Amino acid sequence: MTKEMTKAQPQGLPRFRQPSDILEREEGYYIYMDLPGVDKEDLVLDLKENEMVVSGKTRYASRPEEKYIEVEFGNCEYRRTFTLSESVDREKIKANLKNGVLEIHMPKAEKAQPKRIEIQAG
Amino acid sequence: MVIDFSTLYDVPRYMDKLFEDFWGPSISRRRMAYPPLNISEDEGALYVKAEIPGVAMEDLELTLTDKGITLKGERKSGEGKYFRQERPTGVFQRIVSLNVPIDRNGVKATMTNGVLEVVLPKSEEVKPKKIDIEIS
Repeated sequence: MTKEMTKAQPQGLPRFRQPSDILEREEGYYIYMDLPGVDKEDLVLDLKENEMVVSGKTRYASRPEEKYIEVEFGNCEYRRTFTLSESVDREKIKANLKNGVLEIHMPKAEKAQPKRIEIQAG
Repeated sequence: MVIDFSTLYDVPRYMDKLFEDFWGPSISRRRMAYPPLNISEDEGALYVKAEIPGVAMEDLELTLTDKGITLKGERKSGEGKYFRQERPTGVFQRIVSLNVPIDRNGVKATMTNGVLEVVLPKSEEVKPKKIDIEIS
């Protein structure tokens, strides 16, 4: 539940490895990742061979003359790498960012889907 | 469970925090408290911001009492066969004590990208006012 800090960046932005859920449903595999404060434009998903890198950045702005009393979160970078299994259909991966949660849907590849073999009588 | 029933300004921890702030980074170490809050103010209003990704505004209960505001909600998990579950689920609550009178009718809450922002305008009586001095 706590954010795990990986490495402080030289520019000063802390980098976090965000908590993620990985689950399987009938339609395929799903990854859910908490990315609060990230705009769609600041989110990058890179797929290289069987590694998928999710990286994002927050843009929290302060009002002029805003004084902080309590600070428990701030601008940061999120980055996390996932290794994809062979059974994922890479061409059909879809991502959706809603309410600060990234949903990645990875359909199963054709060959991984159970297939019924028809029996021919004759 | 991600419950934290403590109020924000409990003194012993606050003292610890002062020490930690002195030595460490400016991000507070109240890590067990969920959701993380930022509280700020300017001349006209107090701002409470919280990172609550994945919780819709309808599932969030924001109560304004005479002493402060209470933020309540629940993070639910989806259906499926989990290989890994790291995102917290459960009921959460945080209480923020307010020591400034608030204009109750002007309170506004918005949610963008999983970040809640509550704007609490200060009541007119506490806003700094210029007093004209009449010279007789």
